[in-house]
Amino acid sequence: MKSLIKEFSKGITVLNPTFGLILGLCPTLAVSTSLFNAVGMGVAATFVLVFSNLIISALRNFIPARIRLPSYIVIIATFVTVCELGIKAYLPGLSKSLGIFIPLIVVNCIIMARAEAFASRNRILPSIFDGLGMGVGFTLGIAIIAFIRELLGSGSIAGIGLLKSNEFILVMILAPGALLTMGLLIALSRLMGLTKR
Amino acid sequence: MKETLRFGFILGIICIVAAGLLAGVDILTKPKIIAQEKLEEGISLKAIFPSAHHFDEVRDGREVIYYKALDNDGKFIGVAFKASGKGYAGEIKTLVGMLSEGRITAIKIMSQNETPGLGSRIADTNFTARFKEKSDLSGVEAITGATISSRAVIDSVKKKAEEIRLRVKNER
Repeated sequence: MKSLIKEFSKGITVLNPTFGLILGLCPTLAVSTSLFNAVGMGVAATFVLVFSNLIISALRNFIPARIRLPSYIVIIATFVTVCELGIKAYLPGLSKSLGIFIPLIVVNCIIMARAEAFASRNRILPSIFDGLGMGVGFTLGIAIIAFIRELLGSGSIAGIGLLKSNEFILVMILAPGALLTMGLLIALSRLMGLTKR
Repeated sequence: MKETLRFGFILGIICIVAAGLLAGVDILTKPKIIAQEKLEEGISLKAIFPSAHHFDEVRDGREVIYYKALDNDGKFIGVAFKASGKGYAGEIKTLVGMLSEGRITAIKIMSQNETPGLGSRIADTNFTARFKEKSDLSGVEAITGATISSRAVIDSVKKKAEEIRLRVKNER
């Protein structure tokens, strides 16, 4: 049990995908313009991470090493498509604002990295916890960035306007704002020793 | 050779299982997705053409060219159509309502990928309201700092409106 908790918590702290491993930056940078989008993206990626880790771990002795990458891609793409159809059917608003970034979870490197580095070498239960921890860590990372960018860039939190003005720091919701916020947060997390140097 | 076959076989099995799962999910979600799209379309049409009672699709083959807007008695009062133009970052799709004499009732931006905070302001009511009650769109002002995006909307709506006007005239 103790080791399971460790597998879960390492994704949030030391090996946090956003601040520790620095993986999966494409959605992190692109979708963190609002808190709502960020959390939606995080939950969708967590779903895919948990299920792809589960299946890849269960099939680790069945998939030969030489064809592991195409097999992983098929498995990951399947869950991403399931996720995409589900969001389209039940959360049309989220599907509209995330657009192309949902299908692009397929190429999110955290998922591939966890499949290759963890799920393919470990038992099913630790793999599920690893996926869950990584997913939560990713969600937290992207949500923190989105919180800062949305507040400074459009003066609102999760779509609720706090300040009535048109003069916000526009650059914060553009691409440079994403890079600046992320860079400063990575530096901060290393300085505080939350993630590995 | 033997190994290649074995690899192909294993990958094949994975693909077949994946395809089966996806087919199942598709069957489950498809009616829901289509219903969502219909619902959204209905709401948007109502929003740009509040005086219409219902809309009839006019198709050319499988594609919907425009919608006829009909009032309570089924009388033809105008049309609704989609215009699309190239903006600063990709296609901008606009839904337009037009009275039979050629005046625009309202427009609504359906999809756009313009720069957030700049070009994306074309979707604000502040901009879309500039089209209301206009029949000549050259008078519509662009947004400061978002000229390309604004012009894309204005030009695409203008072009498509003329096209639809001609079409409706010929059909009547």
